[in-house]
Amino acid sequence: MATTVARSRKTVRPHGIEARRRHVAYGLLAPGGLWLVIFFVVPVVIMGYTSLKSGGVLSGGFSFSWEFENYVTALSSRQEYFLRSIVYAASTTVGTVLLAYPAAYWIAFKGGRWKPTLLFLILLPYFVSFVIRTVQWKFILADNGLVLGPLKDIGLLPDDFKVLSTWMGVIGGLVYNYLPFAALPLYVALERIDESLIEGAYDLYATPVHVFTKVIFPLSMPGVFAATLLTFVPATGDYVEAEFLGGPTTKMIGNIIQDEYLVQARYPVAAALAMVLMFGMVILTSLYARFIGTEDETLAAARI
Amino acid sequence: MSTVVTPPPVHVPLDARPTEPAPLRAKRKRLSRFVLPVYTALLMVYLVSPILMMILYGFNDIPGERQTPRFWGFTLDWYRSVFSDPALNEAVRNSIMIALVAAAIATPLGTTLGLALGRYGFRGKAAVSFLIFMGIAIPEIVLGSSLLSMYVQVQAPLGLLTILLSHIAFDTPFVAVVVRARVQGMDRSLEDAAQDLFATPLVAFRRVTLPLILPGIMSGFMLAFVLSLDDFVITNFVSGQVRTLPIWVYGATKVGLPPLVNVFGTLLFVAGLFLALLSALSQRKQA
Amino acid sequence: MSAPKKEPDLRRMQEILRRRLTRRGFIRGAGVGVAGISLGSVLAACGGQTTPGGGGAVEPTDVFGGPPEGQVEWANWPVYIDKAKDPQTGERYSPSLRAFEDQTGTTVNYAEIIQENASFFGKIQPQLAAGQETGWDIIVMTNGWEFQALVVNDWVYPLDTTKRPNFDANANDWAKSPPFDEGAKHSMTYQSGITGIGVNRDLVTAEIATLDDLADPDKLPPNSVGMLKADMADFVMINLGIDPETSGPQEWQEAADWLQMQRDSGVVRQYYEQNYADDMTAGNLAATMAWSGDVFYYAEWGGYPNLEFVFPEGGAYMWADCFMIPAGAAHPVSAMSLMDYYYDPVPATMVQEWVFYMSPVEGTRDLILQHAADAEEAGDKGYANKLTETANNEYLFPTEELLARTSFGRQLKTDEEKAEWDAIFLPISE
Repeated sequence: MATTVARSRKTVRPHGIEARRRHVAYGLLAPGGLWLVIFFVVPVVIMGYTSLKSGGVLSGGFSFSWEFENYVTALSSRQEYFLRSIVYAASTTVGTVLLAYPAAYWIAFKGGRWKPTLLFLILLPYFVSFVIRTVQWKFILADNGLVLGPLKDIGLLPDDFKVLSTWMGVIGGLVYNYLPFAALPLYVALERIDESLIEGAYDLYATPVHVFTKVIFPLSMPGVFAATLLTFVPATGDYVEAEFLGGPTTKMIGNIIQDEYLVQARYPVAAALAMVLMFGMVILTSLYARFIGTEDETLAAARI
Repeated sequence: MSTVVTPPPVHVPLDARPTEPAPLRAKRKRLSRFVLPVYTALLMVYLVSPILMMILYGFNDIPGERQTPRFWGFTLDWYRSVFSDPALNEAVRNSIMIALVAAAIATPLGTTLGLALGRYGFRGKAAVSFLIFMGIAIPEIVLGSSLLSMYVQVQAPLGLLTILLSHIAFDTPFVAVVVRARVQGMDRSLEDAAQDLFATPLVAFRRVTLPLILPGIMSGFMLAFVLSLDDFVITNFVSGQVRTLPIWVYGATKVGLPPLVNVFGTLLFVAGLFLALLSALSQRKQA
Repeated sequence: MSAPKKEPDLRRMQEILRRRLTRRGFIRGAGVGVAGISLGSVLAACGGQTTPGGGGAVEPTDVFGGPPEGQVEWANWPVYIDKAKDPQTGERYSPSLRAFEDQTGTTVNYAEIIQENASFFGKIQPQLAAGQETGWDIIVMTNGWEFQALVVNDWVYPLDTTKRPNFDANANDWAKSPPFDEGAKHSMTYQSGITGIGVNRDLVTAEIATLDDLADPDKLPPNSVGMLKADMADFVMINLGIDPETSGPQEWQEAADWLQMQRDSGVVRQYYEQNYADDMTAGNLAATMAWSGDVFYYAEWGGYPNLEFVFPEGGAYMWADCFMIPAGAAHPVSAMSLMDYYYDPVPATMVQEWVFYMSPVEGTRDLILQHAADAEEAGDKGYANKLTETANNEYLFPTEELLARTSFGRQLKTDEEKAEWDAIFLPISE
């Protein structure tokens, strides 16, 4: 009985429901969107405005003058840092997703009642300030410290081997600090997968590899996409790990922006660099999104 | 199953249906019962290793004020005087309070954004996505200084309020992305069915959608909390005279972190562990 | 560095004119600020509210003429004041500060909120540029471009030189008129120190005494040397025999060439903002540019006798952390008296015994020796010895001869100079 009613309602639905859906969408957007407009868009506009100023901190300040040359100054001979940052950030993304995926999988499917607790435990180390965490890693990874010392003593590593002040220290630190940003989205997407789909696949004599590549991984794509977004993008502009755990050869674009702002006090140039970084990231991620085709794939997968 | 006319029906036992072969199932069981849990445990150990160092060094019997990598011996002195620095106490209080409130406000804001982006098509969707991307991409130092300029222009008093406002601003995009990941591709037929059966969309939302996206909301909240608790750069710019823990700690690194910081970190961590234990026990009680 | 154009001069003219037009809106006009929207600034300058206290062309007597306000907000660096534990409350407090509070009935809000000159400057600059008060009455800034920017833009008050009796009586000669602030008109030195070389005797046995030793791959293992970004340019110039204070781009290039040579030799591990102490104590650095107080503290009190401070043969860089009063400060008179209080040898000694840096105040050495004698009498021989060591430390109490071999470095006073300096030196650490 209900179905006949539903069916008839269904035919009427497309017109009214879409309009209502749009209203709902705008309603949902309103609070968050408004906040972001005030406390994010306005500062970004200020940032853009600043990037076109000229002047100096020792000559009375800066004033707006359509100084597009700031962009030229900002970008001149900086390609190396952009490239390195992208490589480091990409490594961070790969590292965090690889490390986090199995754990997220296990918690999502086998966590049972303990899911929130386990997630919480994963996040717990990050309640402690990143400064403390990074400094402790410095202690652990000291040239002749806890980890490297014994390894060098037994001859597994050459005497002048070091992790700190090399790319290993920086990427290691980045992976460590960004792990929860990958773990949480992956968990969230994996947890939504209906386990009966997996059981069904196994029942159809699919191998575990097949089940993963054809069922689980595609269904977790929104999570992978989100994990990539939340690790790659902020990691590119990060400066902390390179500053504490790195050396002269590991400088990232985030450190350059720090220098421009703090050391050189060229606020307009720093703003210009940040604008370029930001928009560059947005373009890259849009391309990535298109490449992944997230929406289509998962929509299709969900309709099984 | 078969369309051919069959002899009188024979009861077919359940386990005679086609299922996965036994050796495969054993392999899967090994994976899920042993390999994965051990991996997760090892991962947690990796995550917690600098924290363990931190806890250890909270007992460091250093001669003087400044901490160095050397371990001198055990002492409880720092624990005895843990609340002795009023500035540090205040900084910790501020940090926790700000993180809780910022996460609490950023979560609904981000959730609604994530929901809208993940499930609905509307004009301007690309622009909103763009906005979220920017929120994640912007380097903190420039966002911090721009926010400061904005507050100064409108003559807002710098302090807890401006810190909160700024934190919510950078937490929200992260929550939105996490919720969107949860919601993307989610079958709407469940909700539609609910709307057929229930009276209002609001009830459908509460009874059907919300439980489905709850893990996303929870994760978003936790992520926002951690982001706020840990933030240094933006907070430093907009905090005026207020101090938070990262600001306090960052300054102390110049001269070597005092063991008091380790003590506080340990207490925070232990408090968190305690909370986790409580939640685990309460889950156990549920049928 | 853009080629000189006609435009900037016009703009600067406009700035100056705007300044003269409105004394009230002086600060706002003088610094349109990082993101000061011009229209808004003009509006504010024309008719807006009164700048609290004013600034710039303000006379010291205007600012410091009133009675003490009874309160001071003091922003300082961490671990830069004496500390003790209150026996009753168990709370940590500063004995010297408490003595001041008791003596004068003033409440002092002491905040260890400055981590870096640059980030603190970045924090207060927009407020100062917009003519707002920062909330602080005293800030402590190191001599450098931030210091100069604060002075040049009139973002700090000129001090009333008639209201500092202790300073006049007890300040060291160099502190009375340092090269970065003639006549000490805008600042009073709080602590000062020497940047020399910290050597880890466990990791290097060769003699490290000259600048070139820091670039010598025969003496030092690869990736074992630390350099301080902010100090190294002046440090190298001094050791190359150049007087930084009169140096120009040609001399800067000489120093930069040496630094590049050092980098190419492979001995440098890292160019530090200031966090070299971790690596130094962890044994990651064989030799590093280091601040005298740090090395002395770790060697003498921190349990690292393997660390040694070396004063390079060519000379060393000297720096000073100075009291300043930001424009718009609400309690300048009390602030002034607090600043002058620390020029009394008694509180100055209390601080020095904790901080281990050079005090600009005469007479602290004698007091330390006296404390040592008292400790010896009381039977605390270890403490007495340490105090005596402190008193005899030639870098805490340098002789004239030693002082002559130090320099405060090049003071960058214009944007053009700073830009050229940065263009020459920054690429080395990048």
